[in-house]
Formats: sequence, structure tokens, C-alpha cells
Amino acid sequence: MDEMQEKELAAIRKNLKELLVTSLCLEDIKPEEIKDDEILFGEGLGLDSLDAVEIVVLLQRNFDLDVKDMLEGIKIFYSLDTLARYVLENRKK
Amino acid sequence: MQSLGVVISGMGVVSACGKNIPETLDNLGAGIRNYSPVSLFETKLDYPVFEVKGIGYGDAKTMRTLELAFIAAGEAMEESGLKNRLGDLRIGVCMGTTIASQLNDTDFYREYKLKGSASMRSIERYLKSNLAEALSEKFGAHGPASTVVNACSSGTDAIGVGLSWLKADLCDVVICGGADELSRVPLAGFGSLGVLSELPCKPFDQERAGLNLGEGAGVIIIEKEEMLRKRGRKAHLYLSGYGLAADGYHLTAPRPDGSGLELALSFAMQEAGINPGQVSFVNAHGTATLDNDLVEGNVLRKFFGPGVKFLSTKGYTGHTLGAAGGIEAVFAALGLLHGWIPQSAGFNKADDAIGISPVTKKTMVSEKYAISTSLAFGGNNSAIVIARE
Amino acid sequence: MNIAGLGIVFNRGRALQALEKALEEGWVLPQDAAYAVSEDILKDKSALKEMRRADAFSKMACLAAYDAFMDSEVDGEKKRSLGVILTTAFGPYVTTLRFLDDIIHYGDASVSPTIFSHSAHDAAAFYIALALGSRGPTLTITQFAHSFSQGLIIAETWLKSGRCEYVLVGSADVCGEVMKYIYRQKLNVASDGKIKPFSFARAPVAVPGEGSVFFLLTNQETLKKYASISALPEAALKKPDVYILDCDGTTGSEEVYRQIGKAGPLISSYTPIFGSMLTVSSFNCAVAALMLKNQKCYAAPVQDNPHGLNLCTIRKSAKINSISCIRYGCKKERLEIFLKQ
Repeated sequence: MDEMQEKELAAIRKNLKELLVTSLCLEDIKPEEIKDDEILFGEGLGLDSLDAVEIVVLLQRNFDLDVKDMLEGIKIFYSLDTLARYVLENRKK
Repeated sequence: MQSLGVVISGMGVVSACGKNIPETLDNLGAGIRNYSPVSLFETKLDYPVFEVKGIGYGDAKTMRTLELAFIAAGEAMEESGLKNRLGDLRIGVCMGTTIASQLNDTDFYREYKLKGSASMRSIERYLKSNLAEALSEKFGAHGPASTVVNACSSGTDAIGVGLSWLKADLCDVVICGGADELSRVPLAGFGSLGVLSELPCKPFDQERAGLNLGEGAGVIIIEKEEMLRKRGRKAHLYLSGYGLAADGYHLTAPRPDGSGLELALSFAMQEAGINPGQVSFVNAHGTATLDNDLVEGNVLRKFFGPGVKFLSTKGYTGHTLGAAGGIEAVFAALGLLHGWIPQSAGFNKADDAIGISPVTKKTMVSEKYAISTSLAFGGNNSAIVIARE
Repeated sequence: MNIAGLGIVFNRGRALQALEKALEEGWVLPQDAAYAVSEDILKDKSALKEMRRADAFSKMACLAAYDAFMDSEVDGEKKRSLGVILTTAFGPYVTTLRFLDDIIHYGDASVSPTIFSHSAHDAAAFYIALALGSRGPTLTITQFAHSFSQGLIIAETWLKSGRCEYVLVGSADVCGEVMKYIYRQKLNVASDGKIKPFSFARAPVAVPGEGSVFFLLTNQETLKKYASISALPEAALKKPDVYILDCDGTTGSEEVYRQIGKAGPLISSYTPIFGSMLTVSSFNCAVAALMLKNQKCYAAPVQDNPHGLNLCTIRKSAKINSISCIRYGCKKERLEIFLKQ
């Protein structure tokens, strides 16, 4: 990944952190406290199935991305990093 | 056998499967599934739905849900022989719904947001459409009246409340069940949850991909057996038991171990005084979502054994939300009365993770008891036991 | 049924201390023409576990129910036999409208599943069951002015039949800007922010309110902390010591209430503390329960008395055996709830 892409990825991560905190009503955590490779479900942020479908909507609204297959979604939503890389590679907005 | 006590003296149903009981039985027997794209309102969503065709929006002063409730309740009251003949009877009304309880008129809200003011017409329509109050007024009922809003188990729970009233001698007769119209709010909402299928639904099938929404109403008239006898009528069907238990787990997902449903089934069967071996069949909730059918199917297998006869009728009606419990109570009662249940529409391939499969063809049933189950958002689990004389 | 515990969230605060303080202070002009519940009250992580996504409706109900349970001496191990009945006039309608915002703004295909899930009327009852670890029967009733009394009737059948040993029965309603607008269109909103319960006017004044109150009920006598309560006709009191009137301007003409004052019984009403809500009966019942427990008559917060009723005008010790809380509905049907020592 070149420097330009690294910068883009960093910007996406920052954006995602803010979106996750707002959209998922995360309490007791500020966006900057979320690690770049934070695991989203189970451990880490401890998100659940309702959060997963909320993230699908968040991706639609903010990046014009449609995750229809939830099996694919499991891989994409594994961590903040995998989510950010997915956005980088696929976004239209 | 425990004393039966509470009879079902009338039934009425309206759904995409039929506008009354005879039409419904014909379509169930022939395995006809009346799904189509949404025609009742504008939407970009093209999921198949089960609309009640041939019934317009009717009286613009009340909601479509109420109209559906009136149709089913009218048929039920006619069969019971009570229509216009209430006399001194204490009549209660308990109905389940989701849509008719909500202030959800998009046109009102859009106008309000745009102008800061809006016509009160849709508010008036909403205020006049509380099911328990409107049905009480229509049928001249002056006993207890409740509108139950327990999401997808509303109809079953309304019937359970009615049973409690009769056993506590709060009234002599109860008009109970559920009604819901097809609405943009749950269509968009369930779509966003990723639980709507783009194809006709396949309850309990390995390749099931979610539910289809529907609309309709199902109503039963229940009364004390001695009241029915005094009216010179004979009892054929009974409402014998009811159970309701909370998962306390998650707002939109069922408890994976199914313990909430097990509790509800246990209560219902204890009240009816029966054991699982006496159950002829189960009309399952069977929405065709991955979670519901897995959890419910496993509970049915564990509770009733691998040979249990069960089906989901949502392949014929769609998921009618607050109406489902009422419609499925009628279907379960009809199954017992006529001695057959239809194939579980939409099912083709067994799911090993569930371990049992619903009936795949029209099936004769001969035992005396049937059960109808409902599982709801918010973790409500309900079951009723219906008995044949 | 015996009231074993009581919890409340309303404009003036949370829990019984806030209620008793408000009863001592009397009427206070509400801010922004409504008896709204401050968001600061809805922040208690020990009670509101796993509720980060929940709306104000669910949080109010959960706090009131939690407090009612904690106020009682019911053994925590008994939560499996705890039922929950939430009654409401309009449910979490503010959240429903937020969902309509999504539909209007983003279209049907891009709406929030979280907001949709919380627009379900039974979401609050779910959170209560979750907070308390209860697995018993859980029910939500949405039925305008009849909701609370119907909820009590169902609770009584559940306890009598053994469906559960304890039931949390309560009400919750939210106000919000759209409800204020609807009140202005359909009702006679008070220009001075003051509900006048004893004016018995043809077009009585209303001031929108919101809040939640819960009662923990049981048939076990040993757990009775406040009073017994029932909405069944057979529990009717021949001559209650006090009548508490639900006059709040939401169900049309209140002329019909005049007949209650005629025989000279002691009359009061506390709706001016809570605001106008179709479920305000539950709040007045909470005050009735306190009166019976404390053997105290609380002064009516607004004492405009054009009909010369025998009003509770000062707080005083009193021998109170029974109280009747009365509401006349939109069709002038009488809804009555009876409380006894």
C-alpha cells in the first residue's frame, strides 16, 4: 500500500470510529479510544447482531456500499481494520 | 383429563389465504400461495408480500387494521350465534395488534415537518382505531377490553388474556384474537434488519432466507361451557391452556437455548392438563428466519420428540405480526375440527441443524389436542392449547 | 393485590423522595409548557444495563420498574416468577416518528434497524425483564385512558391464577414536540401552565406531561408495604375516605365529575404535578398509595375550587382507610381504581 492509500485508510478509520460511536450509541468510549485493529464483535467493542445490521446501513448511507451477504459480512465486520479496508477497496462515495 | 370449561363457539379469519373460513380452507387444501409485490402503498422495496385483495381502504375514518378485525370478528360472532343477541351477557374484548397502536402516518408527519402544522385527519383515524375499544362499541360489549401490543405474539397473548378473564369470572364471553394491516413501517424495518426474503418464504427449510410480511385478522369467540349449553348449543372446540414467558435475552433475537418457549409450552400444557404425547400437531410460529426456525424447531423436537407433526402456515399468509396469533389459533382449531392440516408451504429441504421437518403434504390428524406457538421481538414466547371434543 | 414496591420517574425527578418533595412543594410552573422528564434523570448505569440504544420511553419505564422492585422486599431469587405489564396511551411514538424521519430522508431501503426495533411498543417491557432478570409473563397494553386500569385487571387475574407470584404493573408515556402540537390542536392547552382539576369545565385545560410509574404487586400479605389496589368492580368502595380525580383536560368535558363532590367527601387531585396524560391515573394512584402508607393527606397542588368542594388543602395527618381514583373517559365511562389500607 502506498503512502496515499495509507493516508486514505487512516482517514476512513477515523471516520468509521466516529460513525460507530454515534450510530451504535456507544457509551463510555470516545472515537479516538477505539484501536485501529479493534475487534468489533464478541470481545473488543462487544457489538451484537443488531449492531451488525446497523453497520450495514451506516455503510450504505456514508459510503454507498451494500453488504447483502451476511456470511461475507462476518469477514468484513471482524475488526475496525477489516471494515476500513473494505471501505477503501469498494467505496463509491 | 382436566375439566375443559372454556369453549370456542365461533371463529373468523381473513388473510391472503382467504376472506373467510370456507375460502381459506379451500386454499389451504389446494396449497395455494397468494403472494405478490406490494400494491397497497408506494415503496421501492420489491419483497413479496401477502395482501388481502379485494378489500379497499374502506372507511377513511378508521384504519385498515380495524376493517380487517371487523371482518374476522363478524364471521366469528355470526358462527357463535351471539351477533345481535348479547342479552345480559358480559362480553369482553381482547385484541392484539402492532400497526393500529402506532402513531405512524407518514403523510401526517411529512406535512408537519414541512409546514409546522398538519391535518388532524390521520390522528382522528388513529384515535378511532383502537381495536378493543372499537370492537367493544361495534358489538355492544361492556366487559373488560384490552388492546395487547406484544409484537408478533400479540394475537396469542390477547387470546390468553381472554382465557384468564373467563377463568376469573370477569365476563361470560370474550371476543379475542389479532389484526394487522400491511404497512410501510414494518416493511422498511424488517428489511433493514435483513430478515425479509426476496422470494416466497420457506419456513424450516435449509435454504430459508427470511420472512414475507402479510396482513389479516383472526378472531375466536370463547365462552364458558355452561353459557354455551344454556344457549342450546353444543361444544366442539375448547381453549384449554395458555403460557407466556420472557426470554430476557435480546430485543431482536430469540434466546438460543429456546428456554423461553419451553417455559411457555410447559405452562400452557400444565393448564390444559396434558402431556406432549397427546398433542396432535403444532402450528408453529415458523417465520422462515434463520434464527426463529432454528430455535423453535429445536424446542419442538426436544419437547415433542422427533415424530412431532408440525407446520408453519406463514407460507400461506405471510407474517401478519399482531394478527398472526389470532389467525394461527383459527388454523389450529380448524385443523382439529376437520381432521387435517395442510402441507407446510415453502418447505422442500430439511435442515440438519433443526433435525425435524414440517409436514410436506396435506396430513390427517386425529388426536384431541393442538398447539399454536408465537415468538416475538422483545423475547415474548407464547403458546395456546386447543382441544377437540 | 398488595403494593409491595413503588417507583416513579416524572417531571420533578425520580423515586419516592422526589414525589414526596413535589407533594410538599405543591404546584410549580413547568418549563417549555410541558411537564417533561429531564434527560439527566435517565442516566443510571446500574439500573439501565445494556440500554445504550434505548430511547427515553424505555429508560423511564425501566427506571420506574427497577425502583419499584428495589423498593420492595421481594427476594431477588424470585425474579423467575415476576410478570411485567406495561401500559401506555401512545407508546414510544417519538421513536416511531424518528423512524419515519429515516423513511422520509433516506428512503425505505436505508432506514435504521435500531430505531425500528425500539419503535415496538413492547421494547420497554423487554428492557425491564432484562434489567431484573425476569422470565415471567410480559405484556404491553396500548389503550389510551383505559390502559392502566386494564393492566391492573390482567395483573389480578395472573396473580389469582398463579401465572406468576409478583407483577410489575405500570405506565409510561412520552411527550415530545408532536404531542404538544396535537394537544394544541385537539385540547384546550392552559396558557398559564396550570391544570385546574376542580373547575369541572366543559373545555378543561391541559398541559402535556410525561413519565412512568410502576407498582410491584403480589397477593402475599406479608409483603404489603403501601396498600392494596384493584380495578375490579367487585372491589368498589362504598364510602372511600378520599376521592382523587384524574381531571387533566385530556378526555373532554369534566362536568360529569361534579356529582362526586356533591355528597361532601374529601377530594383531591395531583395531575398538576405530573401533567396531562391519558395514563395519569397511575400517577394519582402512586400518591394514593403514599397517603395510605403515611396516613397523610397531601394538599392538592392547585386549589382553585369554584364549586366549593371539600378539598385537601393542607398537608395533614389523617385516618385514611380507603381511596378511590376516578377517571371519566372520552365517552364519559367511569374508570375507577380502589386502594385500601
